[in-house]
Amino acid sequence: MNALVWRLHRGQGTVGSVGLLGLAVVLAITGVVMANEYHSALSTCGASHSCALLGRTLFQGDGFVKNLVSATVVLPALFGMLIGAPMVAREFENGTQDLAWTQGVTRRRWLSVNVGWLLGAAATWGAIVAVLVTWWRAPENALNGGAFTPGQFDIQGIVPIAYAVFAMALGVAAGAVFRRVLPAIVTALTGFVAVRVLVTLYLRPRYQSPLTARQSLTSSGLPNTDWVLSQSITGPGRALPGRGTHALAQVTPSNPPCAKHGSSQGLLSCLNHSGFARVFTYQPGHRFWAFQGIEAAIFLALAALVLGVAYWRVVATDA
Amino acid sequence: MTAPHFAIETSGLGKRFAQRWALEDCSVSVPVGRLSALVGPNGAGKTTLLRLLVGLRAPSAGRAEVTGRAPAQRSEFLADVGFLAQDAPLYRRLSADEHLRALAGMNVRWEPDVARARLGTLSIPLDLPVAKLSGGQRAQVALALTLAKRPRVLLLDEPVAALDPLARREFLASLAEVVADGDLTVLLSSHLVHDLERICDHLILLARGHTQLCGDMDEILATHRLVTGHRCTDAELRRRFEVVRATHTERQTTAVVRTVGPRHDPDWQIQEIGLEEIVLAYMGAETELSAGPMSLVGRAS
Repeated sequence: MNALVWRLHRGQGTVGSVGLLGLAVVLAITGVVMANEYHSALSTCGASHSCALLGRTLFQGDGFVKNLVSATVVLPALFGMLIGAPMVAREFENGTQDLAWTQGVTRRRWLSVNVGWLLGAAATWGAIVAVLVTWWRAPENALNGGAFTPGQFDIQGIVPIAYAVFAMALGVAAGAVFRRVLPAIVTALTGFVAVRVLVTLYLRPRYQSPLTARQSLTSSGLPNTDWVLSQSITGPGRALPGRGTHALAQVTPSNPPCAKHGSSQGLLSCLNHSGFARVFTYQPGHRFWAFQGIEAAIFLALAALVLGVAYWRVVATDA
Repeated sequence: MTAPHFAIETSGLGKRFAQRWALEDCSVSVPVGRLSALVGPNGAGKTTLLRLLVGLRAPSAGRAEVTGRAPAQRSEFLADVGFLAQDAPLYRRLSADEHLRALAGMNVRWEPDVARARLGTLSIPLDLPVAKLSGGQRAQVALALTLAKRPRVLLLDEPVAALDPLARREFLASLAEVVADGDLTVLLSSHLVHDLERICDHLILLARGHTQLCGDMDEILATHRLVTGHRCTDAELRRRFEVVRATHTERQTTAVVRTVGPRHDPDWQIQEIGLEEIVLAYMGAETELSAGPMSLVGRAS
């Protein structure tokens, strides 16, 4: 059984592994260079009191690699479309399910072995990419934070592994349901993107109740490791969302109005005195791993659900 | 369970797709060791019957037993039944040898050496992707794979339909050879009756979703005759013979009839008849009602 799975998937396995190796080489080289730059900058910035500016001065040039790292967010979808979806569907398009399903193993076992290998490959590749990206982003995370924000949260930690497993399972299930490659690929892609978007927009902000923080207008804001869900400026007794400080200056109740202040620093402290403040709703950075765990669990549960559909379709439906 | 006398036995077996019955009330039995021909027009339910027997489909009615067991997704059942689907499906990019290696882990009684030897004798390259082989060679590879499994019952769905006459003859010769030295039971569907007459010793005829004939080839040949005589009415004809199908011209009446034992009837010329004519008589019994001078008299029950 394993021999058949390997012979049918060795092309995909080789292409996938070579692609990952290429990615690993690029990230390893640029990652080591970046880490060296970071550490040497850290050792010299203390003398010139410029450490606070490092976040803006370092890592500005490697946009291509940054984009490449951000693009790893599509890898799970590719696994599902190109490897998961054709697994059952291609058998039906070529009629080979009649060959595979009339050997001396049951359909249930056939599916289990196939799914085992594919999910194993998805999890392994997903883990390799996740480890590489998390390591590569470490200096950037230390300087500028942002690991908790959507887009960055999704390519680091453990969630990429769960995404890859879910995408692969969804592809297999779509192939088993449609029994044709093209509709299976389309379903694997649209289904995966839809679930990811919905979870990111509507579920992830609510895994735990967000906190609120009230800060003066002149403060430097929240730590960059926090995930800010929303921020607004409240005035004396009422919220004034969506207004810039200059607009606020016109409505301030103090006398004379804050708008008289020429410097922006003077303007802001005037507004502070008049009772204006910045209010944040946010998820604190220390919840990062809890959120990673919750989201990974959600996607693994969804993977189990769609695999149930695949089993029903393969085992209980006529071929 | 079933008496082991029959390798394949069905009773009242039926399969319905949505509103249409693809196979209805099918009761057939094939004794152990026979090479049985499953014939019938397109859409008669041949493929459906074979797929029910190997468990790829579940029946809507009735029951089936193959080697004494109901078809099921169980490895003990699957180990005993070989199935060769229509158009001999194979993994196109794998070679015959790779098929033999890959499927080894899926079967308990796998015998790749016999298959290699057989394909070698036929000069079929073992190391080329099967996509590069001819249709006849692919069919031979598929048959070799099915036999490497050492099944007790072999079900073949239209294995020669896509082959040219030479490849067809070679395929059937291979098959006859295999059956000759073992107690393998084969059920082979085809609409090419002429080819089957030579190698098969048992016949099942499906038409219009029902079983029309099921029995030994010799017995079927021995109990059917072509009778020719002066034109008479259907009723007259039926008084004398058990009529399968009759045709009338202005002067003559010709009919395929069932008869037991030698018969002499001075008014009728009685001739032996080939399998193809018998099969056509059953198949045409209802479908060609409106075809000019031909008319239905009756059909054996």
